Amino acid sequence: MTISTDSWTEQMRRGGLELAILLAVAPGTRYGLEIIRHLQELTDLVVTEGTIYPILGRLTRDGWLQAEWQASAAHPRKYYRLTSQGRRRLRLMVEEWRTFAAKIDRLVDAADKGSDA
Amino acid sequence: MNLSDDGEKRIRGYLFMLENSLRTFLKRDVVADAVREVESHIRERVRETEPMPNERDALNRLLDAIGPPHRLARAYSAELAVDEAVSSGRLWSTARAVFALARNTTEGFAVGVALFTGYLTSAAFLLVALAKPIFPANVGVRWVDGEFRGAGLEPFVGPETVMTHGWEVAAICAVVGGLLLWLTHRGTRRYLRRVSERRRRAAFG
Repeated sequence: MTISTDSWTEQMRRGGLELAILLAVAPGTRYGLEIIRHLQELTDLVVTEGTIYPILGRLTRDGWLQAEWQASAAHPRKYYRLTSQGRRRLRLMVEEWRTFAAKIDRLVDAADKGSDA
Repeated sequence: MNLSDDGEKRIRGYLFMLENSLRTFLKRDVVADAVREVESHIRERVRETEPMPNERDALNRLLDAIGPPHRLARAYSAELAVDEAVSSGRLWSTARAVFALARNTTEGFAVGVALFTGYLTSAAFLLVALAKPIFPANVGVRWVDGEFRGAGLEPFVGPETVMTHGWEVAAICAVVGGLLLWLTHRGTRRYLRRVSERRRRAAFG
């Protein structure tokens, strides 16, 4: 039972991670570690820190993010920001997410009422 | 935390392993950029870590949080190699993506073997066609003492062997080889597109 729940949680986490990354850069530019810190602060979506980078690479390649290296005092950092295409995509994803979550909530409520009766 | 020489070597070793793993399926500039980004992450984590009596343990914890180099390379492979092959359609990118999938998944291995067979067979047909102008007497239908013995490229034609219909065999091999190569490459790209879409669907739930 635990194994199947873990696998389900893992799938859900993986599905949510892309949306979470886009949300993390929605307010403004952030570099990889900043995104990780932000996600670790608010969620438990980041299990292995390194796996964020390939996803950031793909989102950049897909044209949803724009990346730029900037020199900082200690070492260069690669900053990411949403493109206009990425912002449109994020709006759609958030809408989808809310609709989906609302439907599941309705199901959970109906199941709770059913078990109470 | 300031690193000792050993600590510095540990980080260099990690980045070296990551770079080597990534090089097997990604372009050089993509690899350099990925390694630079991971190094930037490590340097910043090291800088914010409080000095500890056991530097080795601290570094191990830090690198464990990022994940082993081979696992990180696998994640890059899953995210980038397939997409690059789908978007560019180049033979080398496609081969790299199929190789990466074959190394990481059972389905990828099975499909990789089938596609490798397809490419190899088409290359064999094309080789026969290309050999005809270079070795005109060695390509065709082979007869020994009036008995049919096969068709294609015969490296050693003995005195009792007669080769006929050379240009017809070369033309057929060129058409079959070309068609097979086209079909195999089309199949490969279709498979990679499907993998890419499947991953995207999985990512979006």
